[in-house]
Amino acid sequence: MRRVRMGFRVLLFVIVGSLMHYALPQHDVVRVLNTYEERQDLNDWTRIFWARPDDQSADLINRDVQFIQTVKKRTWLLGFIQREGTEVMVYRNEDTGWSWPFYFKFDTANLKTEADDIISTEADPQWAVITHYGWRNPYLSAFPNAISIRPVDSPNPTIIPWFNIFFFIFLIAAILFLRAAWRQFRERSVDPLLDAAGDQYDEVQAGVAERRGRITRWLDTWRAKDKRKSPPD
Amino acid sequence: MGFIRLVVFGFIGLTVIYFSVSLYSRSVRKERLENEFDAENPGGDRAARSAYVAEGMQAYDKSIRPKLIGLVYVVPTVVIGTIVYMINAN
Repeated sequence: MRRVRMGFRVLLFVIVGSLMHYALPQHDVVRVLNTYEERQDLNDWTRIFWARPDDQSADLINRDVQFIQTVKKRTWLLGFIQREGTEVMVYRNEDTGWSWPFYFKFDTANLKTEADDIISTEADPQWAVITHYGWRNPYLSAFPNAISIRPVDSPNPTIIPWFNIFFFIFLIAAILFLRAAWRQFRERSVDPLLDAAGDQYDEVQAGVAERRGRITRWLDTWRAKDKRKSPPD
Repeated sequence: MGFIRLVVFGFIGLTVIYFSVSLYSRSVRKERLENEFDAENPGGDRAARSAYVAEGMQAYDKSIRPKLIGLVYVVPTVVIGTIVYMINAN
């Protein structure tokens, strides 16, 4: 039983963790090489890795998607620690509109223009910080979605993830509130009910015992005096 | 349509949060009033106790606290508005 509970907790942690890792914004330091647009087929389960810019796009089985090709500074530990060297990274550039995940991005065309504006070569690099969510997975043709891009002077800028800081503060506050509310509800609403039910049960028990006593006494009146179970009143 | 869906479901979600927070806040206040009365009048009679609590709850309803819970609707709206602006502004 303990093992089942442990397994359930691990599973919950993995699911919630993956969901947050997919949907929360992350920052990469990149050098933009090029942007392109490509027709994408969207009619199998990997549809979940593409956005839904507007309502008609929900039914389309293929459409054009914009991409940003970059060379990216390697990092590890969720991008907090920079490593030496670079790798290539391709971002998709799609509106998220008013739907999940809630980035409210409508400026895909502007973002493409901003990216085009800072295309640079290895000899004369223009570094930029790109904010994105999502995963790159070549086997599933999944690409992270670029949200915004801003040029920076050095390849090692200080990045403070403000949104994530506030998000986790809010998440902890929400969990603490839920816990407090649940305890208050139990203390004020459930426990009194249980107490009342317990009291009622005791009363019923006492009533039964009393009635039984009365019947026994009545039966006793029919017995001979020396065989009576209860003493006479 | 996407916008309408967000508004409708957002409103439903925020209403659930609003009522949970209101109920919790009232419950905490009521408990505090009961404890206050019990501390001041050990073995006080029940009628006086419920009168004290009812009076305290009336004062609570008039105070600014229950009105502040309305921020449950205001803050997310402002935050979403700010995000929409910041993501799409140049």
